[in-house]
Amino acid sequence: MKRLHEDRIDLIKSYLKSRKLSPELLPEILDHLACEAEERLWDGKPFEQIYSSIVETADNEVVLNLNADHKNLLAMEKSLNDIVFEGRNKLYGAYDLRKSYGQTIQKSVLMGVALFGMIVFFPNLYARLVPDPKPGDIAYIVEARPIDITRELPKPMPEKPEPAPEAKTLRSLPPVVMQDDEVAMENLPPVLKELENAAPAAKTLEGIEDLEIIVPPAAEFGNAKTAAADVKTREESIFLHVEQAPEYMGGVQAMAAFLQKNLKYPVAAARAGIQGRVFVQFTVGSDGNIEDVTALKGIGFGCDEEAVRVVKMMQNWMPGRQAGNPVRVKFTLPIAFQIN
Amino acid sequence: MENNTTSNEYVRGTLKTIVLNLLAEHDRMYGYEITQEVKERTGGAIALTFGALYPVLHKLEQEGMLLTESVEVDGRLRKYYSLTSPGSEAARNKTNDLERFIDAVRLLLAPKNLATE
Repeated sequence: MKRLHEDRIDLIKSYLKSRKLSPELLPEILDHLACEAEERLWDGKPFEQIYSSIVETADNEVVLNLNADHKNLLAMEKSLNDIVFEGRNKLYGAYDLRKSYGQTIQKSVLMGVALFGMIVFFPNLYARLVPDPKPGDIAYIVEARPIDITRELPKPMPEKPEPAPEAKTLRSLPPVVMQDDEVAMENLPPVLKELENAAPAAKTLEGIEDLEIIVPPAAEFGNAKTAAADVKTREESIFLHVEQAPEYMGGVQAMAAFLQKNLKYPVAAARAGIQGRVFVQFTVGSDGNIEDVTALKGIGFGCDEEAVRVVKMMQNWMPGRQAGNPVRVKFTLPIAFQIN
Repeated sequence: MENNTTSNEYVRGTLKTIVLNLLAEHDRMYGYEITQEVKERTGGAIALTFGALYPVLHKLEQEGMLLTESVEVDGRLRKYYSLTSPGSEAARNKTNDLERFIDAVRLLLAPKNLATE
């Protein structure tokens, strides 16, 4: 089997190139001619003769016709882009962009129309999907819980007895026998004339003359009131530390049980996995009522509000005592929220 | 040579069908193989020139009838052609069409009294 030498293939190739054969056709025509040449070589013909016959069959006119035929047959698919980019670098990107321009425009128009349509018809669609509420529908159920509001009544203050107006008196003691040097000159018994406007008594007082009945004058009520207000402010002051601290009725364990019973873990906190301590500050009134409940430091997610709510529910406290008297005491209670 | 030029006139219109039909019989073929096959089977009556064959092959490839694969043989690239499924369908259709056409031409070419029978 005789194979065509590479040099000879190159010779045919360069010949075809010199005839300006289309590069798309070149490798195939080369193979074709080489096959033909090999067959003739097997017949025992010299290469030179074969080559000249090849040149004869593939002369200038044949190649030109071939190029033209090829171009014409494939031309139907050739667009303006192919003509513009003929012999240029098609890999650069501009060719692809131009080639896919129509598709891109088509896609973008479709997307734009779809988007616009969606925006225009969205309210309509929404109205269809979500029907209007009927007048009988219940939107929300709000549970009303009675709240005990105990108003702190100002304690009636023990009225300080108004010093009664006293009658003018003169020191007039029954005479006592004493030594001369022990007798004080100012303690002399009153003269009769002095006793005309004053009553005899153990002490001398600059009272009101001729006063028989002691009646507190109506005009002096204002004076009494201011005295009472004075007393009140002192009594109502809130203590931070007292001798006997306020305590939940029944002790710490009873309070813990109460909290356990009434505290509900807020759903939001449970969902978020929140735990920790809420410091609730309140005032234990002198009557044992809880007032001014606030969460000092909380952990949020409804825990603070829940703690405040439960603390407000506690009412039976034993008030703190200062010097034996019940007083208002500020109290801070940490409430722990823990997920079991 | 003279014989070739006259046959070329008819070959031109039927070349697509001939190529598709040959490829339907073979798994895959390359250009020179096709010309040799045609030459052998027609006893040299029809000789395909490369000038006619390759543009048609390229056109069929462009139309999606043919698949190509390039294999390097003896230092040069050889392009093998095989039919795609639309290609084999087109081969059947075109062969049928051509047969009917040939029958019709035969009727036309036959003496008139025979044709009317």
